[in-house]
Formats: sequence, C-alpha cells, structure tokens
Amino acid sequence: MEQRAGVEVAGIRRSFGEVIAVDHVDLAAPPGFVTALVGPNGSGKTTLLLVLATLLRPDSGTVWVANHDPVTDPQAVRALTGWMPDSFGTYDTLTAREVLEFAASAYRLRRDRGEQRARELLELIHLADHADLPVHVLSRGQKQRLGLARALVHNPTVLLLDEPAAGLDPRSRIELRGILRGLAADGRAVLVSSHVLAELETMADRVVFVDRGQTVSEQELADLPRSERRPWRMQALDPNSLVDALDRYGIEHADPDASGVEVLLSGDEAAAQLLARLVRDEVRVTTCAPVGSGLEDAYLAMTEDRR
Amino acid sequence: MTGASPVSVTDEAPSQSTGAAIGWWGVRTMAEHEFRLRLRAGRWRWLLAAWFVTLLLLTWGLRAALVATGAAERGVDMFGGLMLFMLALAMLVVPALTAQSINGDRERGVLATLQTTLLTPAEIAIGKLVAAWATTLVFLAVSLPLIVWCLVEGGVSVGRVIGTLIATALLLGALAAIAQCLSAVFARSTTSAVMSYLVVFALSIGTLIAFFIGLMLTTETETVTERIPVWDNGQPQFNEETGQPINVDRWQTAEYEASVQQTEKVWWLLAPNPFAVLADSTSGTVEWERTGFDPLQTIREGVRSARDPDSGWSGVASTEKAVWPYGLAFYLLIGVGALTLTIRRLRTPYGRLPRGVRVA
Repeated sequence: MEQRAGVEVAGIRRSFGEVIAVDHVDLAAPPGFVTALVGPNGSGKTTLLLVLATLLRPDSGTVWVANHDPVTDPQAVRALTGWMPDSFGTYDTLTAREVLEFAASAYRLRRDRGEQRARELLELIHLADHADLPVHVLSRGQKQRLGLARALVHNPTVLLLDEPAAGLDPRSRIELRGILRGLAADGRAVLVSSHVLAELETMADRVVFVDRGQTVSEQELADLPRSERRPWRMQALDPNSLVDALDRYGIEHADPDASGVEVLLSGDEAAAQLLARLVRDEVRVTTCAPVGSGLEDAYLAMTEDRR
Repeated sequence: MTGASPVSVTDEAPSQSTGAAIGWWGVRTMAEHEFRLRLRAGRWRWLLAAWFVTLLLLTWGLRAALVATGAAERGVDMFGGLMLFMLALAMLVVPALTAQSINGDRERGVLATLQTTLLTPAEIAIGKLVAAWATTLVFLAVSLPLIVWCLVEGGVSVGRVIGTLIATALLLGALAAIAQCLSAVFARSTTSAVMSYLVVFALSIGTLIAFFIGLMLTTETETVTERIPVWDNGQPQFNEETGQPINVDRWQTAEYEASVQQTEKVWWLLAPNPFAVLADSTSGTVEWERTGFDPLQTIREGVRSARDPDSGWSGVASTEKAVWPYGLAFYLLIGVGALTLTIRRLRTPYGRLPRGVRVA
C-alpha cells in the first residue's frame, strides 16, 4: 500500500477508436520525488495524465493514485490530486484571486480557508500584486503560474503537471523548479511531463521515457548512462590560440564559431587533462562544458532507432 | 510555501462528504460562479434596456389600440398581450443564454478542470441550470413595471399575475434544461445553439402545424341525410314560439357529404405548445360579455374546445377539461429528462468518448 501513495500504473492501455494512444505503460511516481515523464509528441503522455486525473477510463491495466483507483473511486482521487492540463482556459473575466477562491470552494474548502489559501498561493506564484486584475490582462506565463496555483489549491498529495514550464520565462522556470522541489520535499508525489529536457534534469529525481504509448525505460536520473565520447564546448579569450593548441595536440574539433569550439572528448577525465594542458600552455580558456545533458543524450539515444 | 501548512484536504471539507451526488454546497458554489461569469460576460445593461424598451413599446401600443376601440377594462387585454409577447421573446433569449453552457466551457478549456474538482456532475449540471434560469428570471423581473401598469389599468387580479409569472418561469426553466442538455450532447456550440432554436420552433409553431395536419388526417366525411320541408304555395310557415315548420305539404330528403373535424382526437398535439400552456393555465373565469379581446382567454377557449368540442364556444363558460396539466407535465418530464442526460454526459472517467469530443 505504501507504494501506492503516489502514482502506480501497471500495463495500462487506452485507445480512441482505431487510435491506440496508450499501449502499455508502467510507471511509478513515489511520494517525495519529482518524476519526469518524457517522450516525443504523440507518445501518450497527455492521455496517460488524463487517466490519472480521473477523466479517462483505461481499457485495461491497473492504476493507483494516492491509494485509490481513479476508475472506481474518482472522488477520493480528486480530493488528493492536483492536475494541471497542458492547455487550459481560465475564466478571463474573473480576477486571479476569484479563480483560486472558486477552485477552493469547488474542492469544498470552507470560504475563509479558501480565501486564506488563495492569498498563500498568490504569494507563492508572485501574483499577489496582480491578484485583483482580471485574468485576461495577465501574460501567458502568469496564467501558467495561476494554473499551477489552481492545481495546488486543495493541498494535494499527488501532483500531475502536463508541460508546466511551457510559456514561462527563465526566472519563472527557476521558481517553478523551486516550488516543485519543495512539494516533493514535503513528501508529495510530483509527476511532470515536459519537452524542456535541460529543465527537467535540474528538477527531477526520476525519469520515465515513453514512446508510441509504451514505457521505454524508467530510471533514477543519477543513473542515466552517459555516452563515453561526447562534444564539449570550449571558449578562450583568443579563439585562434585555442584552435592552434588543439591542432598541436591532434584533438579533433569543429570549426570555431561565435560560441566557441566544439571538441569531441571521451569523458570527464579527458576534459580535465585537456584543460590542464591548455592552462600550462597559457591558452586563456574561459569555458569548458559538455554540450547537451545526460537526459538529452538518453532521450536522443532512445528515439534514435525510431526515426 | 505550501509546505508550511500540510493540512489534509478532507478535514477541511464542510459536512458534505466527498461521495455525495448532490449537495447544497456544490450546487450553490457552481451557480454563484456561473452567474458571476454571466454577469461579467455580457453588456447586460444594454440587453436588459433593449428588452424593456421593446416590451414597453408593445404595451403602450396595445393600450393605444384599446383606447381607440373604446374597450373597457383595458388591463386584461394588455396583460394578455404583454405576457404572450414576453414569452415569445424569452424563448428567443433562453437558447442564446444556455445553448453553450457545457460545450462552450469545453471549447474554452475550463470544463475538464471543473470535472476534476470535488463538484459532482449533478452539482455542475444543476448549478449551471440554476444560474441560467436565474438569468432569465432577471429578464422577467425587469418587465415587472409593465405588469404593474396592466394592474393599474384594471381588470387583472394579482393572483392571476402571479400565476402567469410562475407558469412562464416554469416553461422557461424547462426550455433552459433542454438547451443545456443539447450543449452537453453536441460537441460544437454552434450546433447546439441551432438545435435549441429548432426546438423552440418545433414547440411553438411545429405543434400548431402538427395539430392542423392531424386534424386533416382525422377528418371523416359522413353522409348526412336531411329532410327539407316543402310548401306547395312557396310560403314557408313556422311556429312562432318553437321555430318549427308548420303546415308542411310534403318532405323531400336530400343527401350530402359533410366533413367532420375531430379535434378531440388531436388536441394533445397542442398541449406542448408553450403559449397554450401559458394561456390555459392562467386566464381566469370568463367575463365574456365584456368588450375587448383577451388573447390569453381566446387561446384558452381555443385549446379547450379542441379537447372537448361539445362544450361549444359561444359565450358559454369554458369546459372544465383543461389542457395545461398535460402541457406542464410534458415540460416537467422533458426538463427532468434533459437534466438527467446532462448529468450522465458530465460523468467521468469517460469510457467511450462521443464523436468530436476532446476531454481537455
């Protein structure tokens, strides 16, 4: 039972007529962790989240959300789950505060508690200054944050977020990361789907890859295999001296451009050695970083054979 | 931060348990929300002003016409005309207000987030209907000064006014339920709006057409044999008291075909007509001798004599066989049925999705 306090999905399948949206997905999003749901467009992420959010009945398979079955006991699941859809409307003519207060009473919070909750959440998403403006004057990112606050209004133990970072500016993304980490630290289960892999990498503990309606792999982010030979990007105060040095060492590199030089290196050890050598030779290096992320590598490796 | 107050949700909840199908809390929450949205959405001041001015012009015109024809007790006729016209106008307004209630929310992307709250499908449907109904009642309320004017003109009792308003409100409530149901059944809001207007048309004009077609189909021709008195001298004579022919020389028989309309077989086609329900349920006992022309009374006499042709029209108090209970029962049944279907359509998790419907 403990396992099921978060999200526990085994072998679910859901089709719309001829189209099989989710074919066979296994997934666990345990409490206390941020689990990333990653996959290409049309891989069934949104359908899966709709099943978890008690809106769609799976054709087969078992689903547990917060210790309840969303098919047989949707009300119990709803009381404990916050869902933020990938595209959603808001009541444009209401103010941000009214949207949250309505959501609170729709979750049967007492009026005074709902008002208090709305205040807390507006603080949390930095919309307190805009609390009494109608929603239609808010920016896309502000609406997105309001959508997140709406999903949090009843203090759910499980959070299902479909592309929450879409339309957020960099600062808001960093804040979103902070909010989600905080929620996980509280012991909530957080399931996030996103395309912004670099973002997920700093946000998530676990990652579930889905493709064509199937779970491809499910692992801890720290355990992601890193490919041995990968590009690193280097910059120096004088790009020519860097290129000359690389040529001298006989290290394979791409043509330099405004953002520096890409070098193929096998692992962190090789990078450290190269840096030490460059410093010794008085090449004034300013940047040396791997291109892409582990998550991106894994994602590309996973989808490579599918092209 | 949310972490600072890790309160579980369930012990925050008011007494309604999460499993309850319908709770006062939920219906009120939904209705208030919906009513507020409606209030903010439109230019109500202009809409209500246009409504009032239209009805004002009608009432004023009616009064002028009645004054010109020298009718006494103008109030009754004014009131009848006003209420019929108001019902017709309201039947145009209700679909516009309600026919996008469910699918419009889906198109705007706010339905799915509503369905994942603890509001049950019944609470959502009933709350939305209450708000839609309340909106139409606002229109009725705006017309109250004109009704008071009719009262001042005399001849109308307060009881009759209240009865008429209740009947109108019930009819419009049922119509709102139908329009809302159509918005739950059809994926696109334009489809449901068109369908709602077709329903209004079918009920108000379709029933009349059906009645007259039904009347023609049930009309029987029968052979009538008539005896005709013949006076050889060509001077008909009649008993002055009884009107019977006297001193008849001989009788001729003539046969001819006569068509007999059997309204008693098809009167029920008129029962769902909203104007028939309104008129039959509310017009009072006859003050037939008075001059003037009460449209409610006329419709009432019409439908009642259709049901009970033997009662006759002319100056006699109308038959006890009322038509409106059937009509009102029809509207209540349809209204409840429409609401039930709406609730079923809102129930999640969805198994099979209706064609063209996206969940979110």
